Amino acid sequence: MPSLRELQHDVRAALLGDDACAAREVVADGLAPEARLAVYGHHVLTSLTTALETTFPVAVRLVDPRFFRFACDRYVRAEPPAGPCLFEYGATFPDFLAAFEPCRHLPWLPDVARLEWAMNAALHAPDAEPLTAEALRARPSGTLETASLALHPSVTLLESAWPVDAVWRAQQGEADGVVNLDDGGVRLCVWRQGDDVVFRALTPAAFAFRRALAPGGPLAAGIEAVLAIEPAADLAVLVREALDEAVLQCR
Amino acid sequence: MTSQPLSGAGIGLRSLHVDEMLATTPAAGWLEIHAENYMGGGPAVRALERLRQDYPLSVHGVGLSLGTAGDLDSRHLERLAGLVERLAPALVSEHLSWSTTGGAYLNHLLPLPYTDETLDVVSEHVDRVQARLGRQLLVENPSGYLRFRGDTIPEADFLAALARRTGCGLLCDVNNIHVTCTNLGGDPDRYLAALPADTVGEIHLAGHAVNDADGRAILIDDHGSPVAPAVWALYERALARFGAQPTLIEWDTDVPPLAVLLDEAANAKRRLAGITEGKGGTLPGCPHMEGGSLRDAVVA
Repeated sequence: MPSLRELQHDVRAALLGDDACAAREVVADGLAPEARLAVYGHHVLTSLTTALETTFPVAVRLVDPRFFRFACDRYVRAEPPAGPCLFEYGATFPDFLAAFEPCRHLPWLPDVARLEWAMNAALHAPDAEPLTAEALRARPSGTLETASLALHPSVTLLESAWPVDAVWRAQQGEADGVVNLDDGGVRLCVWRQGDDVVFRALTPAAFAFRRALAPGGPLAAGIEAVLAIEPAADLAVLVREALDEAVLQCR
Repeated sequence: MTSQPLSGAGIGLRSLHVDEMLATTPAAGWLEIHAENYMGGGPAVRALERLRQDYPLSVHGVGLSLGTAGDLDSRHLERLAGLVERLAPALVSEHLSWSTTGGAYLNHLLPLPYTDETLDVVSEHVDRVQARLGRQLLVENPSGYLRFRGDTIPEADFLAALARRTGCGLLCDVNNIHVTCTNLGGDPDRYLAALPADTVGEIHLAGHAVNDADGRAILIDDHGSPVAPAVWALYERALARFGAQPTLIEWDTDVPPLAVLLDEAANAKRRLAGITEGKGGTLPGCPHMEGGSLRDAVVA
C-alpha cells in the first residue's frame, strides 16, 4: 500500500494520462480497476472542458466543436487548473492555442480567445470604486499631477493584429457572421460597466494613456506616454473618456 | 446579519434561476451555494447579496480537498473564510474527498483510501478549517465508484470517527449512500445506522444516472434528474434516524425550470413534516436494532 501522497500522485497520473500504477491499488469487484478509474477521469476531462467552453464560447463556434473539445482535452492534461475556482481556469489557454499545431492555420484564433479571457476576467474581477471626475476635482490644488492612479481591476488592454472585436461581434445573435480579416488590427479596452462586460476600440493615444497607468502611477506618466507618440493629442479628452467609462481608480 | 438556522427543504442556487428568484422571491426554505462560484466579484456576487436578504443560506465548498496529503491550500481557505464572514451562513460544509495534488486541481470529489493515515490527514485538515472559520464544519459522504485495496475502515465508520475526533458535523447525502452502496456493494441501512445520529446536521438529495460500464450498470451521481424512488425511501429512513434535518435538493446538470426544482423541494418538505420522532429512533426495516447498536455491528 503506497502512502496517501503516492497514491494521489498515481491517481492523478491515471486520470490525466494513462499511467497504470493506480489501478493496481483498486479493487476490481466485477469491473476492471481501469474502468472504475475511468469514471472519475471522464468527469475530470468533461467538466473542465465544459468550464473552458463556458469561458470561450466564441472560440468554440469558430472551430468545429469536436476540435475544440480535442484541444481542451490536450490542454487539461497539460495544464490542469491550479485552484478550485473554475472562473479562473484558462488564462493560458490562448497561449496554448497559439502553440497548438493543429490550429496553426487559424492565426487569429488565439487573439479571439484572449478577448474572451479578458471578458471573463472583467466579469469576475473584484468590485472597486471607480475614480470620478468629482473626486478628482475635489483634490487639493497642485496635487492633481502627482495623484497616483491605476486601472479599475476589471480592465484589460488588448492589442491584436486581427480585427478580433469584429470577429466576436459577428458571432453574436443577429450578426451576419461576415468579417474581413484584412481590416487589420485593433487596440481594445475591455472592462465591466455595472453588471455588463463591454469593450471598445481605442486610438493609439488613448491606448498608450491607459497602458501607462496599468501598473499604477501618477497622471503625468499617462500624459508622457501619449505625448511620446502623439504630441498633438487632446489630453483632456483622454482623461475625460477614462473617467466617463469608469476605468480608473485611485491608488 | 447572521443567517437564521435552516429548517425544512432548500434548493441549490443555480445561475440560471437567479433572475427569476430575484424577481419572484418564491417560497424556497433556504438556499445553498457552491462557495467557489462566489470567490470573485461582479454581478453574481451582488445578486447573492440581495438574495440573502430573503433566504437563509448554506455555503457548500467543493474545492478545499480535505483529503489531500500534505498542507491544505491556505489561499483557498482564506478565500472561504472571507466568504463565510461576508455571508454569515447558517451552515458551512465540505466533502470527504480530495481534488488537489502536486498543485493541480482535478475538479472532482476523488476517493480516499479509508485508513488510519487518511483519518489523521483529514482530521488535521478539518481541525484547521474549523479553527480558521471559528465554527463547525459539516463533512459530506461522497459518491463512490471504486474502493482501494488498502481500505481498513468502512466509510460510514470513518465519518463517525472523524466527527468524534474533530467535533465536525456530518452532511448525509442520501443519494450518495444509494449510489455508493449500489456501485460498491453495501447495505444503505447499515450505512445510515453507522452514522452517529446526533452529528448529522443536513441532508442532501439529488438524482443519479444509470450508466453502462463494460456491461455492468453503474450509478453516476450527476445531479441531473429527479430524486429516484429508492432514494426517497432511503430518505424517509434517514429522517426516522436523524430527525427532521434541513434537506437540500441538488440539481446541477440539465438544470430544469425553477418550478421543477421547487416541486422536488416540496416533496422533501412533505416528508419532513411527517417526521414526529426525534433523533436516534428505531430504523424502519430493522425493528430489532437501535441505531447505536447497529453501528457497532457494522463490519467492513
